[in-house]
Amino acid sequence: MSILGGGIFKGMAVTLRNFIGSYFYKERLTTNDYEWRAKDKLPQSIGDYPKEEGEQLRDTTTVNHYSRNFPMLLHDTGEPMDTIRCVACQICERECPPQCIYIEKSTEKKENADGKPQFYPAKFDIDVSVCMSCQICVEVCPFDAIVMNSQFELSTPNRFGGLLVRRDDLLKSNDYYHKIHPQEAAARDQKMVADKAAKEAKKKAAAEKAKAAAEARAAAAAEAEAKEDTE
Amino acid sequence: MSFELIKDILLATVPLLVIFPSLFAFTTWMERKALARIQNRIGPNKTGIPCTRIGLFGLGQPAADGIKMIFKEDIVPRGADKLFHLLAPILALIPAMLILCFLPLEFPWGKFISGKVQAFMLDSAVIFFFAISGLATLAIFMAGWASRNKYSLLGGMRAVAQMVSYEIPLLLSAVVVVMMVGSLNAKEIADAQTGFNWFVFTPWGLAAFVIFFIAALAETNRSPFDLPEAESEIIAGYFTEYSGFKFALFFLGEYIAMFAISGLAVTLFLGAGDGPFLTSAPWLSVVWFIAKIFGLIAVMIWLRGTLPRLRVDQLMAFAWKFLLPLSIFNILLAGLTHFALDARVAATSDAILYSIHAPHTHSGEANHEHPKPVAGQKEAVMGALHYTDKNWMGAMKWFSKAALKGHAQSRSILGWGFGIWAMSLIVLYVMAKGLDNVSRSTAKPREYLYAE
Amino acid sequence: MITAALNYELLQQEGLETSLLEISMGPHHPSTHGVFRMDVKLDGETVVELRPVFGYLHRNHEKLAENMTYLSSMPFTDRLDYFNSMTNNWAYALAAEKLIEVEVPERAEYLRVIMAELTRLVNHVTLVGFFINDLGALGTPLMYAFREREKILDLFEQASGARMMCNYFRFGGLRNDVPEGWLDRTRELVDRFPAFLDEYEQLLCENEIILSRTQGVGNLSRELAINAGVTGPMLRASGVNYDLRKVDAYGIYDRFKFRVPYTDGDTGDCYDRFMIRMLEMRESVAILKQALADIPEGDIIGKVSKVFKPKPAEVYGRIEGPKGELGFYLIADGTTKPYRYRVRPPSLINLTVLRDMCLGGKIADAVIILGSIDIVLGEVDR
Repeated sequence: MSILGGGIFKGMAVTLRNFIGSYFYKERLTTNDYEWRAKDKLPQSIGDYPKEEGEQLRDTTTVNHYSRNFPMLLHDTGEPMDTIRCVACQICERECPPQCIYIEKSTEKKENADGKPQFYPAKFDIDVSVCMSCQICVEVCPFDAIVMNSQFELSTPNRFGGLLVRRDDLLKSNDYYHKIHPQEAAARDQKMVADKAAKEAKKKAAAEKAKAAAEARAAAAAEAEAKEDTE
Repeated sequence: MSFELIKDILLATVPLLVIFPSLFAFTTWMERKALARIQNRIGPNKTGIPCTRIGLFGLGQPAADGIKMIFKEDIVPRGADKLFHLLAPILALIPAMLILCFLPLEFPWGKFISGKVQAFMLDSAVIFFFAISGLATLAIFMAGWASRNKYSLLGGMRAVAQMVSYEIPLLLSAVVVVMMVGSLNAKEIADAQTGFNWFVFTPWGLAAFVIFFIAALAETNRSPFDLPEAESEIIAGYFTEYSGFKFALFFLGEYIAMFAISGLAVTLFLGAGDGPFLTSAPWLSVVWFIAKIFGLIAVMIWLRGTLPRLRVDQLMAFAWKFLLPLSIFNILLAGLTHFALDARVAATSDAILYSIHAPHTHSGEANHEHPKPVAGQKEAVMGALHYTDKNWMGAMKWFSKAALKGHAQSRSILGWGFGIWAMSLIVLYVMAKGLDNVSRSTAKPREYLYAE
Repeated sequence: MITAALNYELLQQEGLETSLLEISMGPHHPSTHGVFRMDVKLDGETVVELRPVFGYLHRNHEKLAENMTYLSSMPFTDRLDYFNSMTNNWAYALAAEKLIEVEVPERAEYLRVIMAELTRLVNHVTLVGFFINDLGALGTPLMYAFREREKILDLFEQASGARMMCNYFRFGGLRNDVPEGWLDRTRELVDRFPAFLDEYEQLLCENEIILSRTQGVGNLSRELAINAGVTGPMLRASGVNYDLRKVDAYGIYDRFKFRVPYTDGDTGDCYDRFMIRMLEMRESVAILKQALADIPEGDIIGKVSKVFKPKPAEVYGRIEGPKGELGFYLIADGTTKPYRYRVRPPSLINLTVLRDMCLGGKIADAVIILGSIDIVLGEVDR
């Protein structure tokens, strides 16, 4: 064991530099207070935390525009249940890797935002304690009805009911989505519009095709008739 | 028992019992804060005045820690020896508090209330210091044994091996100072260093101070010698099974021992309460003393933030193969240097003194001519007088003044003095390097290959 | 190696009654890196017997994956080695991509390399921190490491939405493109990283205590390393120049110019393993610089059908993970679920040589040897 090599003193110089540097250069610091959240938004005292069973801290702002934590159901502008996008197709329930989504389909149809009668989820529960924030449900959803929320203070005093988030708590407006994930939401809206247009175009094309086919069929039938007539 | 005696006892002990535990609280805060800053963290900054959001830089942290410690459950393992499990933390604290009494602290109020300022004015204070601080080993092994935990036992065993081994270089490095002063009394050692004649400025003193400091680190189980409580290997060592107030007592004992041993280092090598502005404000001596202790503790914290731990066999090898021979050699060197300096410098300074006395002895002769005063004679005489007073710094100051004025004898004294100092520093360095080479492993940075 | 037991036997012969001290280190121990346990027998401080015990974190990963669709087990691969979710994703994606024919777009390939090398930086920098922590430092290098890791994790979060469980790779590409400005932020980080490495090396690489603690401790010979199937930096520290990035050149690694550090195989001790990782970080920075300079615009995912239903086949996809060769072995039977799903975890296989390295050392050595192997229990136990 050698102590006269000077390596120890080199190391001590580094720690001294860091000791002094940490007072002057903020980028040296390992930990920083949250800058993104105003001081008055932080829970100030113990009373700010949820007291009633099943209650959760709801209105916490997001960490940044990219983080994902827990799914939410989207609805368009208007009454949440009138404009809910989810049609209870249950694909996410099937695909969810930890199987944390529970859906019950409604028995009757209801008009959605586009004025089309659709099924809706009578029940849509997600278990916070099981969900692993993997975002697979978002990817498989064909209706862009479920996206990731970045709300992270999901603590609750009730570990049984409180950890099961119900449909009405999951419902968030598209505006909220735009607020927390602006880039992603804009891209998704764009995609939806494009999808809709493509669908409509396809429909139109299909309708035209069908029309053409029908015409052709009619013509053929007429021709056949005519043929029959001639025979 | 007379009132005077009770007053004296209270005056001598109460400050120790009040000041050092409160310094302990401050030191825990300082350590956490300094370590945090070394690691680029902020450290405690929220714990201030309760029920408010006033942070006070986290100064409330020690109080909060203390309250937490007191109210925590005191867990005793089922198989533990309950009596010794209880006794160990107390026994760890008591010797640490006791040895504080030997520090030559002069509290300012002592001057006008009573002349007695030190609890024990023992003539053999240094010996007692080591004797009592050795008891801490017993407490630690007791804790390790009584806990009935294998990690505790390993920690206790390590502690015994380590503390017994490092006591020897610790003592031997203190011997140098005792040799120079010719007394084991802490007060006399402190007095011998007034006027910046700190022993750390001499080559042997410097070497002894470094050895003493390293051994003190090992004695108080500080990093890089914190093997008895090595977290990554044996959880928390001997206090693995301690919680609550008993743990706090261990913690307190450890820090008080740190203060005590730093205080001894300050007394022996760093001039005790000596410092500037003492003539105008004598009470500053306590401040200097405690400031020096804090300086040493700051270095300990700095080391703790930087260094990893030694292995147990390396630790032993370091004590027995490096520190012990070096400290013995240092004693030898100190004696030789002192002798050499005395032989040359003392003779010359005597000659200087003699030269001014000489006219008087021959004053009977009427036709005596006064010797022409040599330039710098006055300063040289002052230097010589300081030298006979063993005031090194003063002597050096006056001799160099004289030497600047062209005083030949002063020049020779300075030349000899610095020559011997430089020589002994070089000899010490060579010795350390040699010992290092003998005991060193082949540890050195390596070269690596690269494949394209 | 086993000579350390002699002392104990000698005492036995002389008729003194002694017994070895048996200690169960773990599963709750500060430095077993998770819920790992070592049953050690000590003669004084010397380790004379060591038995690794693991399985406390077994989560049935392989069987779970056989009962769900191919895509659904992608997020579970994050949880294998939770420090390196990006490389785990890549290994799985690589295996699954062999089942179907899919062209991975250029941009996705570049981003994959960038993510993998950032992951390597994260892993190595924290490993070194933990390793020095095991040596007994008070977490100072670890804190410096965590600061740098945080910066990289922030980048991961911006790209994938999560810091550790990224779940970013998809069969045929990546899930989404990186947001605007991400590449610039990454460039800035990569430019600054060497300065941090300089400081880190100054703090650690010449420290005499670290040198004497790590050199000559836990020697792993080249033969044993090869026979035990050890891979990654540990194999290279034992003197074998073997890096899958060079051997397989998977992805687009053949386009980058980088070097693979390895030793001459004389020692293969903890110091070598530590230094190889320090040196590899420099090379990762070099790769990152090249990749960030060349990255093209374009698609992020190839043409893959929404339902992943490969034809029956057997494939093995492997990458050079930060810890070693990470492989996924899949047997497809024509359904949407794999018939067999098997992970080759580098942590577990590197851990098999633990006993051979620890015997005869001190107990403090056993701790740092375990630290230098670089295990993550999520991957060991699966």
